[in-house]
Amino acid sequence: MFSPSLWRSTWAILRKDLRAELRGRVAINTLLLFAITTVVLVSFRLGPLGISRDQRAVTSIAVLLWIAIFFAAMSGLSRSFVAEEEAGTAPLLRLAASPAAVFAGKLLYNLLLVAVLEALVVLLFAALMNLRVGNPGLFAASLAAGGVGLGVATTIIAALVARASVRGALFTVLAFPLLLPLLVVAVGATELALAGAGWSKAWPELRLLAAYVLALLAASLLLFEQVWEG
Amino acid sequence: MSTRYNQFGDMLKLLLGVWLGTVMLAMFLWVPPHEGLGNLGRIIIVHVPTAWVTVLAFLISAIYSGLYLRRRRPEHDDRALAAAEAGLLFSILATVTGSVFAKAVWGSFWNWDPRETSIFVLLLIYAAYLALRSAIEDDERRRRLAAVYSLLAFITVPFLIFVIPRIAESTLHPNCALLATSNCEGVTLGLEGSGAPKVSLLGERKVELLDIQERDGVAIARVEVTEPGATSRAILEPSINQRTGQPVEMPEIGGTRFRLKLERLEGERASLNIEQPGSSGLLRNSRTLLTFLASLAGFTGLFYWIYRVRAAVLGIQGRLAEEGVL
Repeated sequence: MFSPSLWRSTWAILRKDLRAELRGRVAINTLLLFAITTVVLVSFRLGPLGISRDQRAVTSIAVLLWIAIFFAAMSGLSRSFVAEEEAGTAPLLRLAASPAAVFAGKLLYNLLLVAVLEALVVLLFAALMNLRVGNPGLFAASLAAGGVGLGVATTIIAALVARASVRGALFTVLAFPLLLPLLVVAVGATELALAGAGWSKAWPELRLLAAYVLALLAASLLLFEQVWEG
Repeated sequence: MSTRYNQFGDMLKLLLGVWLGTVMLAMFLWVPPHEGLGNLGRIIIVHVPTAWVTVLAFLISAIYSGLYLRRRRPEHDDRALAAAEAGLLFSILATVTGSVFAKAVWGSFWNWDPRETSIFVLLLIYAAYLALRSAIEDDERRRRLAAVYSLLAFITVPFLIFVIPRIAESTLHPNCALLATSNCEGVTLGLEGSGAPKVSLLGERKVELLDIQERDGVAIARVEVTEPGATSRAILEPSINQRTGQPVEMPEIGGTRFRLKLERLEGERASLNIEQPGSSGLLRNSRTLLTFLASLAGFTGLFYWIYRVRAAVLGIQGRLAEEGVL
């Protein structure tokens, strides 16, 4: 399945999307501004001098962190496919690359955006919300697992809504039920990491996140061809 | 041929009406009140079958969505849509009946119990599926993309139904028989010097053993129970008959139908547990069991009827649209 030509076209699509993004910076600006807005708003009352000083506020911090990530992702991550439809370039892409390569390229692009977004949100939380991480390795693992799930789900759903009307609203409506299990578990894992719990305590959460990501990825790979059809 | 078929269908329809009517009457008149829940226990006759139909509808919708993607026959999509619409209806019924029961028994309409979470997500998925369909103009594309979404949801929902209840700390639903959570085992508390802790958590509540008294072969444990968030506290006195080992008093815990039970007493150690209303066999009574099974069959039949009629109507609509009448 993963032939050399597939890798090449995947890589080419990723590079094309990155180049287009760096020229227009639509998705990245939306993501970053949304994240900054959320964190600043939260920080005004709960921030450096508010409840975030309290050692026991880990639950609130974990929930707020994922709210900032989730809603910023909802605002920017549908661009990958919506932009192709708006510019009318989707038919050409269908001719130029196989569906697997298109999906893989767009997925990598979305994963990169999620990584940038998470890094920014964590930095903002460190600066504005007294973020103290008890177990940094576990914190990184929970963000990575949750982020990969977010990336996979947003890629396939962006492809679904690209040719519907009212895309923006529909994107969130469709993504939320699929992502709810992921978010609930990711918040739990992040909370444990902030509180400094050991790996063995968070193992069930991490295993569940991994299983969820794998199931969603397998389903998306199988179904994408049907979505991408002309 | 077709008239005979119609007559048979009419008879089945009539039978279904009489059947469900009988079930409703039996639910109020024939089924005895439940030991722990009293008349509130009757809700199981309606609540559980509607929840079961919700899941069944979800399954049928996913199967026909898969078939549509494989064969591309519009009838399959009509069935997937009809099942999803009926599923939305029944999930609302299950949510409302459950919510009324939760208010009466657990003290609030909504608690984010794992079961409540999963039915809520099913509701969201049905709504999202219908929203997606209404946003796509082209018939073929609408069917294809809706089927894909239905299958994606079908992959992710089991994570809620089967996995989250297992990792959740507590559940209010009487399901210790199905899912062993930390609530099921109870806690053992001891007085000072007994080696067991004096204070512990029972589910979400803090319990503290104050002392143990004995009167005429009945041992009474004085326990202070603090509600989550320390909103209120009360001293309860569950007791046990030491000769027979049977509990004597099981006081209710602050505003709910949960009861505090003294399970065992060994020296200065007391084993406490929460007696969940309904965990002592909702279906143990044979009349309740029979009515419940009849209701399950009746609601499944009702769902099937709604689903078939709706699928047939969608099929006719599709054909009329193709011929340009609509």
